Amino acid sequence: MAIVFEAAYSKKLGLPNFSSHSYVVSIRTELTDINQVQEESRKLYKMLQEAVDKEIQAVGFMPDATSYGMKDGHEQQQRNGSAGGDDWQCTDKQKGLILRIVEENNLDKNYVEDLAKELFGHGVKSLNRLSASGLIDELFDRFPRKDKGNGQRGKYQRREQSRR
Amino acid sequence: MNAGDDSPRSIADLISTVSASRLTTFQQCRLKFYFRYVLGLQRPKTSALHVGGAVHETLKYWNKARWRNESATLKQLHDAYLGAWGEAAASNGEVEEQKTGWRLLETYFRESPIKPDEKPEAVEVSVEADLAKHGLPKLVGIIDLVRPPGIIVDFKTSGQTPVPEKVAHQTDTQTSAYGVLYRECTGKKETSIELHHLVKLKNPKLVVTALEPATDLQKTRLFKIIESYVNGLNRSDFIPSPGLQCASCEFFSECRAWS
Repeated sequence: MAIVFEAAYSKKLGLPNFSSHSYVVSIRTELTDINQVQEESRKLYKMLQEAVDKEIQAVGFMPDATSYGMKDGHEQQQRNGSAGGDDWQCTDKQKGLILRIVEENNLDKNYVEDLAKELFGHGVKSLNRLSASGLIDELFDRFPRKDKGNGQRGKYQRREQSRR
Repeated sequence: MNAGDDSPRSIADLISTVSASRLTTFQQCRLKFYFRYVLGLQRPKTSALHVGGAVHETLKYWNKARWRNESATLKQLHDAYLGAWGEAAASNGEVEEQKTGWRLLETYFRESPIKPDEKPEAVEVSVEADLAKHGLPKLVGIIDLVRPPGIIVDFKTSGQTPVPEKVAHQTDTQTSAYGVLYRECTGKKETSIELHHLVKLKNPKLVVTALEPATDLQKTRLFKIIESYVNGLNRSDFIPSPGLQCASCEFFSECRAWS
């Protein structure tokens, strides 16, 4: 009866900018005698290791850490901000906050639109996340929440402002 | 009077997001981090911190005015300064310290590279960057000022004239974080990072240190520091780091009692 013998060798190596790559080679063979296992294992290990080491030297695609993922992430944020076909460029969270301020203070949406244009030269939906954050601050300055005083932003802001 | 609105926070909370100031404290001394953020121990503000806070608030007022297409007179700025001084520490009214802060601001307004009609891109703006794709927590922060075109500015008050090479290293974590935050929020790379040092000398002076945009190496270092921060907090690795900096540490007594 033939003995099925399987061997695999894998290696994972770190790369710059929190990247890594790995490669695995496996093989299946048949042995006629169980006493061949040890010798066959030694040979296969050496052979597979050499094969992996040879191939893994090719690093392949390496992302540019200054831009990789940022554009996609930004576009993803834009898609996340979409609602009913209108494209907001800020995050869903920022969009929700702006709409909540409008609702809670019975503001005319044109007022906020004009304010955004005055401050940034763009309408609300075109504001990037940096500008949207500035607009939210300005709206809270102009329409402070009665129940929470001026502490309307995230708790980290209040903490970090006291710890510059 | 206390130093701020710090309150005890859980480890889970402290690693759900991370900020440059928390990272920097963790790098300085893990035990100090523990006292400040985990236990939330509160201490009276030092006079230097108090001056720094009031100066920051006044600069914010000045920058906000330009951002709103308004102009602020020196009288309005002085009133803003006095208001910030009073708000920050009603019981800490040392007259000399107050004058020192205003002299710093006068120097800044006179020598600032920022023209009176320069409209900022952002003032004291809250920003965050999702680093989940790197297996790291969300990075949060507040950027003092963004000048056109994409120049990140951080205001600093200090008692000594800064040495540019040392400052670049000393502020590496903070400036790298700002670079990552700015890029995440705008999809653009910052043009440069400026540190505006208001130096408290007999004759106050302004020193502007202009740094290049954060490099790949800086970004990698920042991510490794964040990784170390998360691992350290998960292990409750809060050991002291005795050194020269302990002379001005507000938790000196607690540290001596630590075991």
